Amino acid sequence: MNMVVRQTFPTSLSVIALTVAGLICLPLLFIGYLALSADPSVWGRLWDTRIPELLLNTGALALGVSIGTLLLGVSLAWLVVRYEFVGRSVWEWALVLPLAMPTYVLAYLYTYLLGAGGPVEHLWQWWAGPEARVLSPYSFTGATLVMTLDTFPFVYLLTRAALLNVNVSFEEVARACGASRLSVWRRVTLPLLRPAIVAGLSLVILYVVSDFGAVSLLRYQTFTYAVYQQVTGRYDQTAAAVLSLLLVFFALIFLITERWFRRRSRFYQTTGRYRTSPRQPCGPLGATLITAYLALVLGASFGIPAWLLIQWTVSATAEGAVDARFFGFVWNSVALSGLAATAAVLIGTPLAYLANRWPSKLNVACLQAAYAGYVLPGPVGALAILILASHLIPFWYGTVLVLIIAYVVHFLPAGLQTMEPALQQITPNLEEASRSLGLGTFRTLRHVTLPLVKGGFIAAWVLMFLQCIKELPATLLLRPVGFDTLAVRVWLEASEEYFQLAAPSALLIVIVALPALLLLVSKDWRAA
Amino acid sequence: MSTGQQQRTLSDAALRLAEERSRPTVLELRKVGCAYEKGRPAIADMSFSVREGEILCLLGPSGCGKTTTLRAIAGFEPVSAGAIYLAGRLVSSPDTLVPTEQRHVGMVFQEYALFPHLRVIENVAFGLQHLPADQRKAQVRTMLDMVGLTELERRYPHELSGGQQQRVALARALVQKPVVLLLDEPFSSLDPDMTGKMREDLRDLLMHTKTTAVLVTHDHEEAFAMADRIAVLNNGCLEQFDTPEAIYHTPATPFVADFVGQADFIPGLVENGTVMTEIGEFPNQVGYQEGTKVVVMIRPDDVHIEPSDHCTARILARQFRGSENLYTIGLPSGHVVHSSESSTSVYPVGTPVELQVIATHTVLFEQDHPRKPKG
Repeated sequence: MNMVVRQTFPTSLSVIALTVAGLICLPLLFIGYLALSADPSVWGRLWDTRIPELLLNTGALALGVSIGTLLLGVSLAWLVVRYEFVGRSVWEWALVLPLAMPTYVLAYLYTYLLGAGGPVEHLWQWWAGPEARVLSPYSFTGATLVMTLDTFPFVYLLTRAALLNVNVSFEEVARACGASRLSVWRRVTLPLLRPAIVAGLSLVILYVVSDFGAVSLLRYQTFTYAVYQQVTGRYDQTAAAVLSLLLVFFALIFLITERWFRRRSRFYQTTGRYRTSPRQPCGPLGATLITAYLALVLGASFGIPAWLLIQWTVSATAEGAVDARFFGFVWNSVALSGLAATAAVLIGTPLAYLANRWPSKLNVACLQAAYAGYVLPGPVGALAILILASHLIPFWYGTVLVLIIAYVVHFLPAGLQTMEPALQQITPNLEEASRSLGLGTFRTLRHVTLPLVKGGFIAAWVLMFLQCIKELPATLLLRPVGFDTLAVRVWLEASEEYFQLAAPSALLIVIVALPALLLLVSKDWRAA
Repeated sequence: MSTGQQQRTLSDAALRLAEERSRPTVLELRKVGCAYEKGRPAIADMSFSVREGEILCLLGPSGCGKTTTLRAIAGFEPVSAGAIYLAGRLVSSPDTLVPTEQRHVGMVFQEYALFPHLRVIENVAFGLQHLPADQRKAQVRTMLDMVGLTELERRYPHELSGGQQQRVALARALVQKPVVLLLDEPFSSLDPDMTGKMREDLRDLLMHTKTTAVLVTHDHEEAFAMADRIAVLNNGCLEQFDTPEAIYHTPATPFVADFVGQADFIPGLVENGTVMTEIGEFPNQVGYQEGTKVVVMIRPDDVHIEPSDHCTARILARQFRGSENLYTIGLPSGHVVHSSESSTSVYPVGTPVELQVIATHTVLFEQDHPRKPKG
């Protein structure tokens, strides 16, 4: 009897899991099919006109932002971990705040700050004469600056955690071997931090190449922006599919290289005990310099933008911009994100449960397939679903349902990452104990498994909900006509340079993102 | 062991010491103090010196300041009083702190701290960057050969056993020919089964390379096995600085007596020029005044027992230790002494026994001032 239950229960779930995994992989497969079956002339034309430029632009942006975040992230982590000065612990915590600011919000604020007639230009002309110009935000430098300021906390967070875990004995023994401080840093500390720095940089690079919001507002031609233009401007789905496939291809190559590098440079802690390095106290001059540097970085990446948003929100509210229409957008965002997060948890549960409890090849493959959303940069995934929906289910195309599917495909990997550990924490013995006490499979699930995994699943739901609120490219491409969300409003108003009108929505997005950010960071904080 | 034999070993030790005294001093601490800082025990008024080729052990319980002393010698810890001289050069004082990298000390940490991103051979070569490549290679090869790690030179630290890791750490420190080698609890992370062999190997290696070494340990057996001289530390103060033999047989304070081996303290009274106790008379070697209340330190190996029906001392417990039986003897006054007997002498608990105390040295402390050294 028991055998029968064990057999049929997973089988019925397996069917669900297989269906879901298939649905999730379908867009990617379809894009591949469309691109590879395209007329060679399409490839040729794209190769002659767009691809070299896009490759160069995307690569240059990734490289520029990597260098920027490397310098900022490592130096900031070093200062807050190795030095003691007034307010150190506040700075240590505040430096993650830029992550709460979606790239399109920061980009839109910088088009104002650096734009012609903007405050930075005023300041510069006051100092350097009326003819002086500042760098344009609509340039490689502008895009690099905005993306660097937005993503350096990835490198900062990982480097900080690694620095806290560096055993000070390594540095002491190196000095006993006669190495100077600089040489210790170059030959011991830096190599020990390298895996963490590389992990941080690879997050940054994936973030940059899949970003749509900032590059589109700064009109900087990368693959994601080009894909969007092919679809919306030229209605050329085949060309968009070709560009998408190329981007997925490069993302995959990058991921594989990164994984290979990480495996190669994995260091083993050779000892059980470690002592952390004591913080070096700073004199008044040192403390002032460090604080000035931290204030400059945090002011540019979060302080000034947030202050601007608040100012504009206040003046926009006074002018009556926060009206019933605005609350309509809020409702759209919340309802859509809530539905998507709920759907993702429901869909993710059987996948994660099966792969962790009955890790057969098929079940694990289904779970792996769900993670495929990772290699699909946001706009590409959205495009894939757009094309697929317009071919297969035209009667649903342009409905909220398609948008929710896009959200689920895109954010399920992040949700699964939170759900899986929750499931892994409970031993199968608990379920077996429940079964031995006479509860059936579904009652066991209801009374034992679900109460235990509830916390992890709620965290996953919150995480996906908040990411849906921020989501831009898929919403832009797939939303029903006239159905705008907060993110879409920010982008639309900012594209038209209605800076004040964009502010209330942007501020709301930032405020909503803060608790999720703290939730995520506090987990790492304790671990380190 | 007969008294004659013991005398000879002791005079051998004295000879050895005299020979060693002619060697130049490599490391000297003069009234060194380290200020109190949270989490680190302070040390005060620490003075001792180490001669070339000598192995010194800093021995004491955890928190006694022995690691702080070692770190002060290495230059990781500033001193707040006194001075440290390395090879005749002032390296630490309240106004001076020569950085570690300019001190030419070798350091072996408790957890070895092998660089996890470097292979064995690169770890050992780490401190030799100033040499030309061929010279560096030759020295590293010789060193690896000496510690028997040539076969493993391409491995990473995590691919080595604990003992092998220790040898790499030693090789890395010794290849620089340090003025003094500092070892912080070098055996504490090893399997206890291995430590005996590792101690022998380490001592041979240090002798062979004529290395001056300062070794920190909390284990008196380790200190006895390794050291030429031992500095016993307690609460940041130096309690005694002497040869292992002297530390064991003539401890300067009750703390040292108790810390370096099992010791019982039997009260006695100075009467007619001798010390009268419940287990017999002892010579008043240090000349306490008549009527002084003292305690006599007795080690288990100084006490021999014979079953005897008319005696009042009784066996309270027997602990079998393989090579010996350790008996706990209850005296009529309620005091307890321990006796070490051969592993085949087995008497049941409760047996009345006669005590024979055969001590070459009588160690006396004043009862009222247990910390005042007399010996």
